Amino acid sequence: MDLKKLLQKLKDKLNLVANQTELKSVRIEYLGRQGIVNSLFSQIKNHPDPKSFGQELNAFKQAVESLIESHKIKDSPINTPTSPKTSLLAATLAKVGHLHPLTQTERQLNQLFQKLGFSLYEAPDIVTDDYNFDRLNVPADHPARDMQDTLYIQEPKYLLRTQTSTIESYLLETAKKSLPLRAAFAGTVYRNEKVNRSNHFAFRQYQAVVVDKNVTLKDLIGTMDLMFKTLYGSKVIVRYRAKYYPEVEPGIGPDMQCFSCHGQGCPLCKFAGWIEMGGSGMIHPNVLKKAGIDPKKWNGFAFGMGLDRWTMAQNNIQDIRTLMGGNLSYLPYK
Amino acid sequence: MKLIYSHLKHFLPDLSVPPHQLRDDLTLIGHFCNFYEKIGKEIIFDLDIKVNRGDCLGYYGLAKDLSVLYDLKLKNADILPLQTTSTPLPIQVTTDTVTRIQALKITSLKNTSSPTWLKNFLKLHGLHSINPVVDLTNYIMLLYSIPTHAFDTHKSGDHLIWQLNPGYQEFVTLDKSKLTLDKSILMINNPTQALSLSFWGGQNAAIDSQSQEVILEMAIYNPTTVRQNHRLLRSQTEAATRLEKQLDPNLIPLAFSHLVNLVLDICGGQISSQLFDYYPHVKKPLKIDFSPDLVFKISALKVPNTFIKKTLKKLDIHQGLIPTLRPDITNPEGIANEILRFWGYQNIPVNQPLSYKKVTDITPKILYTIDTLKDQLKQLGYDEVLTWPLVSKPSDQNAVQTQNSINSEYTYLRTSLIDTLKLQLDNYRRLKLPQPQFFEIGKIYFKTGSKYSEKYALGLYHHNPQILKNDLRTLGLKSQIENSFAQIILDNLKHPDFYQAKFSPQTPAIELNSQIITLDANLLLDTKVNPQTLLEKYKKIIGPQILWNITITDIYHDQKLGKYRYTFQVNYYNCNDKIAKKTHLSAFNLL
Ligand SMILES: [Zn+2]
Repeated sequence: MDLKKLLQKLKDKLNLVANQTELKSVRIEYLGRQGIVNSLFSQIKNHPDPKSFGQELNAFKQAVESLIESHKIKDSPINTPTSPKTSLLAATLAKVGHLHPLTQTERQLNQLFQKLGFSLYEAPDIVTDDYNFDRLNVPADHPARDMQDTLYIQEPKYLLRTQTSTIESYLLETAKKSLPLRAAFAGTVYRNEKVNRSNHFAFRQYQAVVVDKNVTLKDLIGTMDLMFKTLYGSKVIVRYRAKYYPEVEPGIGPDMQCFSCHGQGCPLCKFAGWIEMGGSGMIHPNVLKKAGIDPKKWNGFAFGMGLDRWTMAQNNIQDIRTLMGGNLSYLPYK
Repeated sequence: MKLIYSHLKHFLPDLSVPPHQLRDDLTLIGHFCNFYEKIGKEIIFDLDIKVNRGDCLGYYGLAKDLSVLYDLKLKNADILPLQTTSTPLPIQVTTDTVTRIQALKITSLKNTSSPTWLKNFLKLHGLHSINPVVDLTNYIMLLYSIPTHAFDTHKSGDHLIWQLNPGYQEFVTLDKSKLTLDKSILMINNPTQALSLSFWGGQNAAIDSQSQEVILEMAIYNPTTVRQNHRLLRSQTEAATRLEKQLDPNLIPLAFSHLVNLVLDICGGQISSQLFDYYPHVKKPLKIDFSPDLVFKISALKVPNTFIKKTLKKLDIHQGLIPTLRPDITNPEGIANEILRFWGYQNIPVNQPLSYKKVTDITPKILYTIDTLKDQLKQLGYDEVLTWPLVSKPSDQNAVQTQNSINSEYTYLRTSLIDTLKLQLDNYRRLKLPQPQFFEIGKIYFKTGSKYSEKYALGLYHHNPQILKNDLRTLGLKSQIENSFAQIILDNLKHPDFYQAKFSPQTPAIELNSQIITLDANLLLDTKVNPQTLLEKYKKIIGPQILWNITITDIYHDQKLGKYRYTFQVNYYNCNDKIAKKTHLSAFNLL
């Protein structure tokens, strides 16, 4: 290993470093626990001349440290080359990485719920009809199974989960021994839908679940409203109304006043003036019972909503396919 | 479900709310109204009726709900008692899937043309007028949500048999579709002919304008049987949509007499048989112990006791006995839901969320790994993408396949993120995106024997495999690099005990709708200039609307001329070739 070359490479790298974040990643690369320096040290014992190699390495490490520590960064997002020699080669705006807009939305919600003491959660995508339907109070041959077009792996037993309430089935089973429970989670859900500009077979939903003593609809609606205000801003108008979902009783549907027509009716809201935002309710006693939770001692609420439409609106994305495997991209330097 | 305002008033003569209020109120009590429209003089509402409310697939059920909401009197149609004869109908029922049947025979009728009001009513519901008897059966179904059917007894005879398919291979429906049957199909036949399915009439005894004598019948079946039948035959009719739900057999006498009255009114003729009424297990009201305290316990709303009492009375809930019209109410919470939806869920305050409470943290640690990696990869300049979990050709033979995907080219679940990230790269190449560098964290799926498994994986691409290699080392991850792609299974990594993922809004993502256009330019300068200053300068001149990226690829000192040559590469997006060229030439003074 040519230590001189490595040092020169570090210098080149530092010349391209534009901000503290990038500097940090260079530091991790060289000085991190599994960084270049440590991996070289781990090779000492295999070296034909361990003693002198060790000394060289110590000097190398010091040089690396002083180069990184003495590297100055200007506040400008654009880096200023320190050596005129490199500037004669090329110059670029520093490449910036991006998280997917759905990840952004999910993190915004995770942060809100973690502040309220919620855990995060996850569960399988391939599930049995037990977790997707029966445990959610939808027996076999019940018309509520038609509320979603199910994508089957092996009908009727194995399928791809159609809703984040399926994750709730796993959650309740997991948490029954550690009640009270607060958890929030995002998940990909699947429907047997033809893919086009406005429909996809897979999309992201977000759900929050609480099981405790004496939970009420006031807690549910207040918390759900807080979520909407976090996402859509404090001026958003949401109304709460009766809505049926088999896994809850009573069931509540939040509708957001159409931001395009303010309730007057327009093509976006299909002239309803309101846009359905998802579903919620007090967890049905049968659902608690099936998970092994005594509904006489505990009750709870759950709410869920799709994330795609909001994320699309926020990023001015017209085609739902852009979110997944499509033409999604990010400006490289900001 | 369509609802004509003027017709609703037959049941609620005192209803006077303006249409926009009715739209909102129907929605608030659970029947989402998509829109209402004026057609001629009529106002028609378009409602989403939920699957638990079979009764509301008819005017009667909706009127009942509104009578509670607005405290109005529900008025039934003026129905004369049926003048039946003493002749019994030789009807047989040989299956236990029938809940209730009423039937009788009418003779000497004239089935020529429906009155205008009936034709208009059906038209507004999207149905064609056929002849009065058929039109009236449709009309009554729309009023009471109970399907009903008529047989031309010249064709069928009187000996009708409700039975599971005795061996018919095929059935021709009223609209001449041929269905292949199996023995699980519930049918109405005579001893020699297949006449009808439970949810769809047949050709053999079809009513036509010549029909003079008919058997009218109204029936409710085991909803599961109907559902299994219509799913097997892939034929969901209006009747099937209702019969697969729980309907009220105790509503049949009212609905059926209404039908008979109307047929006699419009077609003349007379009843020529006894009323056949098959009802082996009479459905009784469900008893639920309900305490009004539950309303407060569930909602934290102080709903006055007088309101609770009045609402229960209007709903015909007396001493906890639930009317059979409402099989959706099955527990005390269901009764509380009734009180609350008429009181109004919109009255619950929205400004009292839960506050922080410490409960057991059950977060799976792998989520911390995922969040950590996402942040690190972002720092290293990678862009996050999501790709389709379904693929046309998986790279592993143990792939899981879906059975009924209507996207028939994509039936397998991916077994490798690299498979789908390659498609993403193809897409980026098509868009001429310079220097792609992206990652995805998602699941991959396998089938082992009869078991399914899934794993979290990280897939990465960097246009420069050497940098990818360095980045993997930086992250402490081990992977083969194959054509600048790498994949790491995350499940087996050592997960951190905690990680707080950051949320800070970033510039919006971009939906690239056209190719990125890359153009070069040379700039000759007398003196050496800081290239970053130049980049900044031209970035401003070109403007953020169409500038994707700008790079100086080369700086050359021409000693003869004593000048410095700067070579720029500029990537444009969000514009066509012409605009890109024009902007480029003017920005670099090349005109
Ligand atoms: Zn609108």
